[in-house]
Amino acid sequence: MKKIATLIAVLLFSVGCASTGGGMGSSSAMPANYDEAVAQAKAEIKKAKSMGHEWRDSGKMLKKAEKAHKTGDKDKAIKLAMKAKKQGELGQMQAKDQKAAGPWLF
Amino acid sequence: MRKLLTIAMTFGLAVSTVYSTTVLADAEADRKAFKDYFVKKFPETDPNDFINGVYSIDKASRAQWEEIEEFPPYEIAIDSGESEWNKSFANGKGYKDCFGKAGVADQYPQWDDGKGKVVTLALAINDCREANGEKPLKYKKGKMADLLAYMGYQTRGKKVNVKIPNAKAQEAYDKGKQFYYARRGQLNMACAHCHVDNSGMRIRADLLSPALGHTTHFPVYRSKWGGMGTLHRRFAGCNKQVRAKPFKAQSEEYRNLEYFLTFMSNGLDVNAPGARK
Repeated sequence: MKKIATLIAVLLFSVGCASTGGGMGSSSAMPANYDEAVAQAKAEIKKAKSMGHEWRDSGKMLKKAEKAHKTGDKDKAIKLAMKAKKQGELGQMQAKDQKAAGPWLF
Repeated sequence: MRKLLTIAMTFGLAVSTVYSTTVLADAEADRKAFKDYFVKKFPETDPNDFINGVYSIDKASRAQWEEIEEFPPYEIAIDSGESEWNKSFANGKGYKDCFGKAGVADQYPQWDDGKGKVVTLALAINDCREANGEKPLKYKKGKMADLLAYMGYQTRGKKVNVKIPNAKAQEAYDKGKQFYYARRGQLNMACAHCHVDNSGMRIRADLLSPALGHTTHFPVYRSKWGGMGTLHRRFAGCNKQVRAKPFKAQSEEYRNLEYFLTFMSNGLDVNAPGARK
């Protein structure tokens, strides 16, 4: 029983660690302003693209961010840019994870 | 000296023979496993009928499709492709001077050692145009799709016969294979998730087609598009559906993917062009 409980605890801890995405070593600090947020997002998306795993909506998010920035909604603009940045980071993670992808059913 | 040269040549030949046999054996094993999977999954389908995509596994869809095939929506594209084929370039030459005959779709894509890359039929068409001073055609639809439809139609009945002649070609094949099985996009799905694992299952109102025979009927007239489209147009559409940024038509990624996927259909009949939902 103790063994099972320990196993479950270890499993939950691992899942928790994995879902935080801490393994990417990304800069999670909030950018000081919109321009910095966009620069960070563009850099991460560019890396994902170079690895062949850019996501479809990252660019659209940046466009929406720009629109929000123009209308003076600073918080929304930064939030959208950070979302785009996250997509770039996840794309890179996906690329690394799928490097050796192959058939799994046969 | 002569003896040394002969030994070296013999050794080189032996190594290359062993290599090409191994390379082909690996890809052949892939193809056999791929085919066997679908044959086992859809025991009621004649293995040679997978060229008809989803219509090979669903009777109701097939009945509708057979009605459509009585007046095929791609017929206009074949006619238009034929007149494009017969049109001379400004220098008096034509496609015939590049390809000899139109019915060569069974030999593409092919590995080109000189260029060091996979050459698809669409790429070869534009290479031919550019070599004769003509502007290249766009790769997803229009005249290119029409030409491919005509050339495919002229190839109907011939068996797909893609070759992997050497290690460099094998590298391109492997890249295409990795692409096919790699999860991508925000939905984190691979091509294989839909068209291998879940083939025959519904995705909303549509049935997912089996991957075997996927390339044999392209280009297609797709009702959703309201017109003709090439295989790379479809690749881009699939990538978008899993929320991945698509690659450009005829990019290295899509050419390698086409190389792998067409090799999987080796031995099946070319039945291009097709009509799809």
